[in-house]
Amino acid sequence: MTTFEHLPPPSIEDPAADERTQPFWDATKEHRLVAPKCSNCGTFRMPPARFCPNCLSMELEYVPIPGTGTVFSSAVVHEPLTPAAEGHVPYVAAVIDADGAPGIRFVSNVVDCAPDAVEPGMKVQVVWHDVSDTLTLPLWAPAES
Amino acid sequence: MSLKDQVAVVGIGLTYAAPDEAVAVGDLAILAAEAALDDAGLDRRDIQNLAWATGAGDPGGMAAAMGVPEVSFSANLTSGASGAGSLMLAATSINAGFGDVCLSVISFQPIPAGGARTSSAYRANFVAGPGAYGGAMAAAPEDAFTTPAGISSQGATQALIANRYLHEHKVPREHLGEVVVNQRANAGDSLTMAEYLSAPLIVGPLSAYDCTPDFEGGFSAAVITTTAARARDLKQPVVLIGGAVTGGTPSHATPFQMPAASFGSSGHRDLAAPLYEMADVGAQDVDVALIDDDFSPMVLMQLEDYGFCDFGEAGDYVARGNTRLEGGKVPVNPHGGNLSRAYVKGLNHVFEAVEQLRGTARNQVAGADVALVTGSPASIPLSAVILRKA
Repeated sequence: MTTFEHLPPPSIEDPAADERTQPFWDATKEHRLVAPKCSNCGTFRMPPARFCPNCLSMELEYVPIPGTGTVFSSAVVHEPLTPAAEGHVPYVAAVIDADGAPGIRFVSNVVDCAPDAVEPGMKVQVVWHDVSDTLTLPLWAPAES
Repeated sequence: MSLKDQVAVVGIGLTYAAPDEAVAVGDLAILAAEAALDDAGLDRRDIQNLAWATGAGDPGGMAAAMGVPEVSFSANLTSGASGAGSLMLAATSINAGFGDVCLSVISFQPIPAGGARTSSAYRANFVAGPGAYGGAMAAAPEDAFTTPAGISSQGATQALIANRYLHEHKVPREHLGEVVVNQRANAGDSLTMAEYLSAPLIVGPLSAYDCTPDFEGGFSAAVITTTAARARDLKQPVVLIGGAVTGGTPSHATPFQMPAASFGSSGHRDLAAPLYEMADVGAQDVDVALIDDDFSPMVLMQLEDYGFCDFGEAGDYVARGNTRLEGGKVPVNPHGGNLSRAYVKGLNHVFEAVEQLRGTARNQVAGADVALVTGSPASIPLSAVILRKA
């Protein structure tokens, strides 16, 4: 299991998934990134809510995406925002535009670099954080050029 | 049906409780209501309508506790609405003929000394999921897509929006500093730019100065509104509600999925045009602006959204001194605002606007005839109101 520096404390160890979200976590277990998309109108939706805000369909599918993207925004957390975060700062909270899934963003962390080096526009690629037997989280790291 | 100039603010009241004072939140609200009634020259038996934003308790219960004889309108707004939204609801209830005199109130449970988490930076953020704040497990299947990122406070949300804005428009932290230093100066607190810039960041770009200090103790603010016609016979100079709006774009309620073009904004952009149209004024007519300021970047974004300058230009706009009390085109938060005092959910901004238009404010803006008051840039409904001297 890979460990990462500059990561917030694990807030969950299980995704509390239902039939709607389980396919996403099944894919991350296999280190594959997929994006939730309306099967009726093709609009990506994040998080994968019950209804598509574009057409109100309840149909949902997960499509493979390449695992590359761009930091849309980021913020370095310097002070623990909750007592549990003591000893885990600094870390970078980030909002990622993932290639292949226009219109949605992943809310995640950027790791494997100095926190202050992360800024909007930075190219990133997915890395995998195996948290538990049921949860593997996609994180993001600077893209290898 | 337009609300323009139909309803007036006739009474305002603020009460505080010391941290160690044993006063319940509802009692503080009643004390503030009494102060506002006294300010208006009205009696609790005159109240027919109770209308306010969330966070101030049940209107019916308060009417009972105050001995209001009969209630003809009683309502709360939802979610992010604040003080300006209270006035929209109050004006709507009066304009629709449900009753002549409306009480709006906001009240905060006294926080014991040392019990505050010090600032809005740490305030729990429900958009990050109910499981995010102190909870070990996600509560809903959707939460697992946001909670692990460690963004369980309002400071983190604001920082992500602010950093996009600062990056897109190349706004230096000095421009946030101008907002903070200016408001601190208005409150009589001599913070220098050097001190601002050297403060440690909590979550970049926000230091403690960019966030609202938690209020130790309790407070409540109350506003009395009535018809413009009845206002003329009351104690105070008449302050009219020129326009009042609530609403916004629902997509801003889904964390960080807003359209790219409005991500780095306050979400108020949609409210400005209908507000100005209703009140028949423009940004150039606003003499004093009470801008919701729980976080300094949101002040810049609202200045743009309300048309005081072009999008992306607010940093330069404030750096040129346009929002200062001395010589500014439109003084912003002459009372110091939340950034200098405490989080009071908007009604203190209404309070200050009314004092400015009556000509009785501590930091009086000369010739203040038109005031803009904005509500929290939060989940919808956002709110804003134009107040004007009759």
